[in-house]
Amino acid sequence: MAGWAESDAGAAELEDRRLLARVARGDEDSLRVFYDRFAERVLRYAYTLLHRRHLAEDVVQETMVAVWNGAGRFGGRSKVSTWVFGIARHRALDLLRREIRGERVPDVPLTLPDPAPAVERREHVLSALSSLPEDQREVVFLTFYEGLSYKEIAAALAIPEGTVKSRMFHAKRKLAEALT
Amino acid sequence: MMRCEDVRELIPWYVEGSLDAEEARAVAGHVAACEACVREVAAALRMRTEVRNALDGLPRLSEKTWVRIRERTGGRSIARIDVGSFLLGFRLGASVVRGGVPMRGDLQVLGQNIKLFERRRGGSR
Repeated sequence: MAGWAESDAGAAELEDRRLLARVARGDEDSLRVFYDRFAERVLRYAYTLLHRRHLAEDVVQETMVAVWNGAGRFGGRSKVSTWVFGIARHRALDLLRREIRGERVPDVPLTLPDPAPAVERREHVLSALSSLPEDQREVVFLTFYEGLSYKEIAAALAIPEGTVKSRMFHAKRKLAEALT
Repeated sequence: MMRCEDVRELIPWYVEGSLDAEEARAVAGHVAACEACVREVAAALRMRTEVRNALDGLPRLSEKTWVRIRERTGGRSIARIDVGSFLLGFRLGASVVRGGVPMRGDLQVLGQNIKLFERRRGGSR
């Protein structure tokens, strides 16, 4: 099983790199395919960091424009997804700083409430996630949603591996308390 | 044999399957013989599922996001037709944008803009 999973992951990474190379040559159709592969994931990453839907959508825009302009600078030293999330992270924190300084007016409200129990539970989990410090929820997202190893997370965030483990340890404890 | 505290640090990545083979074997070996760590694995699996479900449940992006990106990445207009004039009281315009919203047509009659058609790429969003 692990062998298949690794092989699938390898094929996906290869395809990401091919796409990015075509984007670097100005292929607009490839940008659309790249967007389809990454935009929703970037949205969820940005939402995990910012907990503001309108800002998260802006992060998607900013990230994809940066990919278009900077695809040729991808050095291949990390996975494409790690590179994209690195860009998204910078854009997210930059937008957050601008919002805090009042340079940006929120434009779109959050989703309408839905009374269905499954939705209520999801809202509860999102709320528990948002109660974590930003650095902890980021590690939770990259681990459980993106499937990154702790070594990849440490490299992506430029922090020691021990710090990744420690952030996850504290996040896990707080989430368990909030979700019981 | 690894200690419980070392194993528990790795359990989130163990359940995710992102540990390297040697670490995964060591964790599996410990968990097989430690009831307390089995419970930790079960809790981490539940947490993983909850987090994924919650994030998957967020509303998807609208096509508007893509259109805005194309506007900023130079979505080139590859055809544009304008017929009529202000003096005649109507104007018909149609454009095709490569890589963005493929086609859009508008009819302007006496200052009123009427959208005739807008065909979106793939129609999936």
